[in-house]
Order: sequence, then C-alpha cells, then structure tokens
Amino acid sequence: MSDKPARAIKLNVINEPKDSYKGGPSSLCPGCGHDQISNVIISAAWENGIKPHRIAKMSGIGCSSKTPAYYLGQSHGFNTVHGRMPSVTTGAYAINKDLLYLGVSGDGDSASIGIGQLIHAIRRNMDMVYIVENNGVYGLTKGQYSATADIGSKKKKGKANETQPIDLCALAINLGCTFVARSFSGSKKQLTSLLKAAMSHKGFALIDVISPCVTFNNNDESMRSYQYVKENEITLHMADYIPHFEPMAEVEVPEGHFTDITLHDGSTIRLETISDSHNPSDSMAALTALHEAEVEKKHVTGLLYFDATKPSLAEDLGLVETPLLDVHDDQLRPSKDVLDTINKEFLNQ
Amino acid sequence: MDTIANDFTINIATANGTGSQSANLILLQSLFDMGVPVSGKNLFPSNISGLPTWYIVRLSDEGYQAPGDRTHIQVLVNKATWVEDLAALEPGSVVVWNMDSKMVMDREDVVSYPVPMTKLARSLSPKLAKLVTNIVYVGVLAELLGITDEALHKAVAGQFKGKASAIELNTTALELGRNYAKENFTKTDPYVVESRAIEQQRFFMEGNEAVALGCIFGGVQLLAWYPITPSSSLAEGIIGWLPRLRTNDEGESTCAVIQAEDELAAAGMILGAGWAGGRGMTATSGPGISLMQEFIGLAYFAEIPSVFWDVNRVGPSTGLPTRTQQSDLSMLYEGSHGDTQHIVIIPGTVEECFEFGWRAFDISERYQTPVFGLSDLDLGMNRWACEGFTYPDAPMDRGKTIREQDVFEAMENFGRYRDLDGDGIPYRTLPGSGMAPILYRGTGHNPDGVYSEKPDDYFALMKRLKDKINGARDHLPAPLLREEAEGDVGVIYYGSMENTIQEIDDILEATGLKVSQCRVRSLPLHSEVEQFIRRHRMTIVLEINRDGQLWGILRRELPNDIVGQVHSVAYSDGMPPRGRIYAEKILETIEEVSQ
Repeated sequence: MSDKPARAIKLNVINEPKDSYKGGPSSLCPGCGHDQISNVIISAAWENGIKPHRIAKMSGIGCSSKTPAYYLGQSHGFNTVHGRMPSVTTGAYAINKDLLYLGVSGDGDSASIGIGQLIHAIRRNMDMVYIVENNGVYGLTKGQYSATADIGSKKKKGKANETQPIDLCALAINLGCTFVARSFSGSKKQLTSLLKAAMSHKGFALIDVISPCVTFNNNDESMRSYQYVKENEITLHMADYIPHFEPMAEVEVPEGHFTDITLHDGSTIRLETISDSHNPSDSMAALTALHEAEVEKKHVTGLLYFDATKPSLAEDLGLVETPLLDVHDDQLRPSKDVLDTINKEFLNQ
Repeated sequence: MDTIANDFTINIATANGTGSQSANLILLQSLFDMGVPVSGKNLFPSNISGLPTWYIVRLSDEGYQAPGDRTHIQVLVNKATWVEDLAALEPGSVVVWNMDSKMVMDREDVVSYPVPMTKLARSLSPKLAKLVTNIVYVGVLAELLGITDEALHKAVAGQFKGKASAIELNTTALELGRNYAKENFTKTDPYVVESRAIEQQRFFMEGNEAVALGCIFGGVQLLAWYPITPSSSLAEGIIGWLPRLRTNDEGESTCAVIQAEDELAAAGMILGAGWAGGRGMTATSGPGISLMQEFIGLAYFAEIPSVFWDVNRVGPSTGLPTRTQQSDLSMLYEGSHGDTQHIVIIPGTVEECFEFGWRAFDISERYQTPVFGLSDLDLGMNRWACEGFTYPDAPMDRGKTIREQDVFEAMENFGRYRDLDGDGIPYRTLPGSGMAPILYRGTGHNPDGVYSEKPDDYFALMKRLKDKINGARDHLPAPLLREEAEGDVGVIYYGSMENTIQEIDDILEATGLKVSQCRVRSLPLHSEVEQFIRRHRMTIVLEINRDGQLWGILRRELPNDIVGQVHSVAYSDGMPPRGRIYAEKILETIEEVSQ
C-alpha cells in the first residue's frame, strides 16, 4: 500500500501557500543580486500574511524596476517612468490608502533622475516601502556610473569614478525619513526581517540594498574579474556575452561584527552589521555610523533609523476613512440643490 | 454737446501691488449692477509689486467684451508709464490724472481733469494713502460718468464682505473723490453711464473659478498641482470650495489635494490616481505641460484616465507669463514622443468652463486616456458675465471599469488591452481587486498587458489606440454654428475668441461681408467641422497665435479636395484679441486669396 502522505504544503497565517506570492521568470542576468531581493520580497510578504492582491508593486525604469514582474503575480503593479515612481505611488495612495505600496527602484532611478521625487516622498512621509537595489551602475544602458558609485570604482573601459557618491541612507536620515535601513542582497535573513518590519511601518520606509551588478560593476580590482572569468574558462570574445554566475552565497553578519564578501568580479566589500547597542531613534548616532563606515571603506547594515511618531501622508491629506476609491459617486458629486443655492448666492452677492 | 452713453473704454494705469485691483473691481461691479454691459481686462505684470498694470474697462451696449480699439478715458496714476500712456491718446480723449505725482500733463487736445489724489487720500488715512488713492479715482469717475451711489455701495460691500472698517474707509474715499469732482469740474466730455434694465440676471465669474466648481461637481478625488500663472487660481478655487462641498462634519474630505514638487510629479500623481481607479486632475499652463510630456505619453499608451487643465499663457519658454494666447493646442493634441493623439476640450464661456470641468472626467474614464481642458489667461483670470451653472445632465460615467467579481467572472476572453466591443476601448480592473492583475507599463504590450516587442502586437495596439480616439470625435462637445444663408465665407475659431467674435462679425458686416461661424469645442475634430467647411466657398481659421495651430491640424486631417479652401488668420501680440485687428486681417486674407 502506498500510504505515503501527500507532502503538506506550508501555509501562512491567511492560509496561502508561498506560491501565491511568486511571479514570472526573471530576465535579469543569471546570478543577479536583484533576483535574491525578489525572493526576499516573496518570503517577507508571505511570512507577514499579507493578501497578495492587496499589494501594489511600483517601480520606475532600470534593471531593478523590471523585477516586479518576477514576484507577487497576484498583485497589480505599475512599471512607471524613470525616476518617477514616487509620484505615481503618491497619487494611487490618495485614492486607495488601504493597499500596501511596495516600491522597487535602482540607484539611477533614485539617486539621479528621480532624487527629487524620492526626497519629496520622504518629506511627505508617504506610506510605502521603498527598496533601492543599489549597484552603483546603469545596467540596462551597459555600465555607466550612477550617483552612488564609490570613488575609485572603475568601469571596464574609461577612467575611474572620482565623483562623490550619494549615500541614500544618510540623505534619508537628514530628511527625517521615518524608517531607514541598509542591507545586502546576499543577506537573506537580515533583509527579510528588515523588509517585514518595513511592510508594517506606517510612513516611508527606505531600504538601501547593496546588490552588486554581476555584469558591469567591475571596480578597482576589475582585472581580477577577468581573471575570475578566465579561471572559469569562459571566453570573453563576444561583446554582449554575459557570464553566468551563481547567486551570491547567503551572508549573515552578527550584530556589531563585520565580514568581507567576495563579489563575482573577485573584489570584496566589507559588511558590518550595526551593533545591537545602536539606538535606532538616535539619528545622530546613525549618521555617525554611516560616516565612520565610509571612512573605513565598509558598509554598515541593519536598521539605522526609525521614528514611529511622525504623522504619515494619510493624516496630512485629511481624507474620509473609506478609501476614496470606495466612496460612492453620490458623495463625490454635490446635489442639484447645492448648485442651485450656489447660483443664487452668486446672483445676490 | 451730444453724449456718448455706454460705448467707451476706460484705461487705468497704476502700479502692481498698490491695491488698484480691488478699486478697479469695484468700478467694474458697480457698472455691471447698473445693467451696463461691461468687461474688465487686467493687464498685469509678472511681478509682486511695482511694475506697471493697466486695467481696461469697456462699456458696450452692443455687448462687446474685447478691449476696444482705443482708450476714451485714461486714468493716470502710474508715473512709470505716464508719458507713454499720455502720448498714445487720441485727441478728444479724457484724462483723469493725479496732480500730486509731479508729472507733467501737457496735452492740450484732451479733456483734462486734474485730481490731487494723493493729498485727498492722505487727508483720509496717511498710512493707507497708496490704497486709498485708487478708490479716490473711482469716486471721481463715478461723479463724471454718473455711476450711482447705490451701485458703488453694493460693490464695496461685495468686495469687502463683512469687513466694516474696510467698507467705511472705501465708502468715505469714494465720497471724497465724488465731492472733489462735483466741486471742481464742469463736465466737458461726452461720456456717460446710463442704467439699463436687467433682462437676464447674471453675475461676474472668472473662468478658472468656473472650471474649479465644475471639477468639484465632476467628483474630483485628487488635485495634484504646482503653482503657475495663470492657472493657480483654478487649483486654489477647488481648494476653496472643498470645505463646503466635499467635506463631512468631521472635517474629512473626499478629495485629496497635494501641492507637488514640480509639474512632473503633479502629472505622476494624477496618473497614479487614475491607475488606482480615481479621478485625478492637475491645473497648469504651457510650461507645466512641457514638463509633463513624459507622463502624458505613458497615460496614452498605458490607457490611464487623467485630466489636465491648461490655462494657456504666452509662449514659447517663459514667454509673457501674464499675457494671453492660444498656442498650446498642437502640443496638447500630440503631446509626448511617439505617435500620440489626445482629446482636447475647449470652453469659450464661463458656463462652458463649468460644464467641461465635470465632463472632462467622464470623457477621460470613458476613453481611458488623458483629457486636456484648454482655457487661457483671458478666459481664466478675467471676469465674465455668467448666467449661472447648469447641473450635469447625466450621472458620472465611470467607463468600462469592472468593479464586481461576478461581472468579471461573466466576462469572456478578458484582457486588459483586448478590444471586446470593437470600439477600441478595453475593460479594466483595479489594483487591490485581485481581478486579472497586471503590471502596467509604458513598454510595448500585448492584449493581456504582457511585455511584447512582437511586430503584430505593436501594430495592432497602435491601430486600436488610433481607432479609440477617432471614435470619440462625435461624442465630444460639438462645434457651435451660426450660419449665414450666403454660404460664402466661414470662420472657424475656438476658446476665448468667443468674446470677440461678435464685434469682428459686426465690423465685417459693416463692410458688406456676411460670414458664418463655427466654434470648435473639441479635438479630435467633430465631423460637423468638415461639413461646415464644405458648405462654404472658403473658410478662415481664426486664432490667437502666430502659426495657426488649428489650421495646421485641419490641413492635415481634412480630405484633400477641401484643404485648399481653408486659410489661416493667426495673430498674437500678447493682448486679449481686439476685434478690429482680426477683422482687418480677415479682410486682407480674403482679398489675397481671391486674387
């Protein structure tokens, strides 16, 4: 007798299998860190027990902004225009404030063309999660520096970047952003918990995720990248050839410690998880940690700053409790009597 | 001496920021309340204080609302333009001038009424002398022209609603001016004001305020805007009405208002609103529309309802920010890169401003496409006689939006961009509904909304979009026709030219030329327009711009056999259109064409 019990499908608190949160196949370069972030989004939404159709997936333009097709297939989404996802999200939020707005953006989208919209969404404390998949490079246009590229980063061709990078976390803290975190695409555990917290946050939650580009982010040690590829016996004769990498191995760094991660191109980045003694309500401490990390050429990760007291955009808009989407047409258009009265008032003024 | 009643133009030259606007509005309102057909044009600078401002009041029993050809009565207060204003007057004009300005009034061929405006004003209130000076000249004019105290007092009360001290100060200042004129002048000019019986009760209304009220009755749910002259008063009009018309007892509103960081963000926000299933709108002017081009293309391609009001000012670039023009038409019609075509609705009266205010949302949701309301500074910021607003004649049209699960499940072959009805308009479901979710995109897509670069998908999509907008033609506000039996010359015009067309028509008729008129009120063009052209030997397209933008659209879209019948008369110098200039240009064009 084959009494083998059917393998139980694991369900979350609202009885949904994880599959309900998945999307289509990715068209990014194999091994791209962005795909790991997509998986984290799937896990976090599932673990938080959010109804998949109550999430709105928002993005701009770029490699990162393509990813909403790869997760949450039951959610409506909007792949908007370059750098302008915050404004579209803000308008959608005004109409339906009951959805969870999950924005995914890149460093070109957020730190260059769309930095104004990012700043003003933070300023309004717009109620959304805003993930920056930060690789310091424009991928879709084949490898130009972005505004977050480190000084000394080197393209495959041309001179090293000498322009000061923008630290989006420091920027956000200075703007009074109410949830600021940094993580790494390979730090699944840390990123999942940060994202789950961000999804529960009322206000603007920024997560800057370092997500190295497997194809174009060859920095100072880029020769090692070639070396790496050569050692793996992959020919580089074709200009548009994209080497197939395995996704980064998972990394977990205990609080207050750091570890060096070797990237696909052979270079290393140093990740330090912020100490558990860090008080996330202390913006000065957060800025100090970011500054020290910059001096020591490492990236400090974790929840850097958090403020649950600041009113979000919802309070500022002063809307009725029902989302405007569900307000009946009769309540949107005043009656004929009202217009008659207005006409009379004008005539008698 | 023969008198000239209700047929003259007063030009008041002051400096911006001195409070002359409220004095001039009191003058205008009191004439209006006496039943005198009157119009006021505020020619103001792009400045907060100090630059020259002219206010032109035209009285016309014929009902002409354009500024006339000349000034009959000049009020001189502003030193900066004194010499120029004085030199421009025709002999026999009247000059009411401020003796305390230390400027010379050396014209001997005019009727001169010198008034110590500043001294009179100081005698009343040294602190507020500058403000009071303006009311003093209104008092002088009232005495010279015969404006009644009753009308003046009503206008003052209306202007300073309930502010007792302001009402008292202004009333006393009017008295001062009137008494000075009474005691010092013997009237030697022919101009007088005569009361007229009021057959139809009307009130003054600015186009921007009328659009604002129309939008409120159209159920606007998000106003996202960035301040820009001359549209700011449209947005502020909405904000002003919300507490009364769209707010519950708890002070909670059914319309969100966001002052965006720029016009790009304002456009993005209303797209977000349309995507989410709401009614979003923005109000801007040409420079704002320039910045919104990217989103306009996205709204067209992803088929997202969104309403844009453009209160046209003079371009290109920053242009003349406080002057009027009809120069954004082609930009609106074909906004954004790639092949696009947009619906534009063009009110010509304040009543239509209200109507198109609510109608824009219905059209936009019906066709799932951006809709542009095109007004201009003249219509939007000046005061026009209004007969009152008509309540919408139909419930709100929310278009092909599926909101119920059972309706959705009964549908066959649903695809976000699939043309199920053969009218080019697809059905849509909304975020949060769980029904047929898709990732909206500005990239190419197939009927299911999935990314596609396939030639067949792209071609079919672009064709359907064209068919969809084409299908709207005869469902948009139809042109208004006034036809002469002769069927000789037709004139096509639009928008605020409505306020000058009667005068143009009368000037032409005085030369023996009878023309028919067709006021276009929407793009793409209604099929009536082509029929109108066919019924006439030749047609003139009359526009307040340089290049004849509507003429260009007509030339491209009309069948070849009648393209040659259509000729452009386009002129713009920043001023509101003056009848004689356009009438003469029409005559010149007819002559040229007939040679």
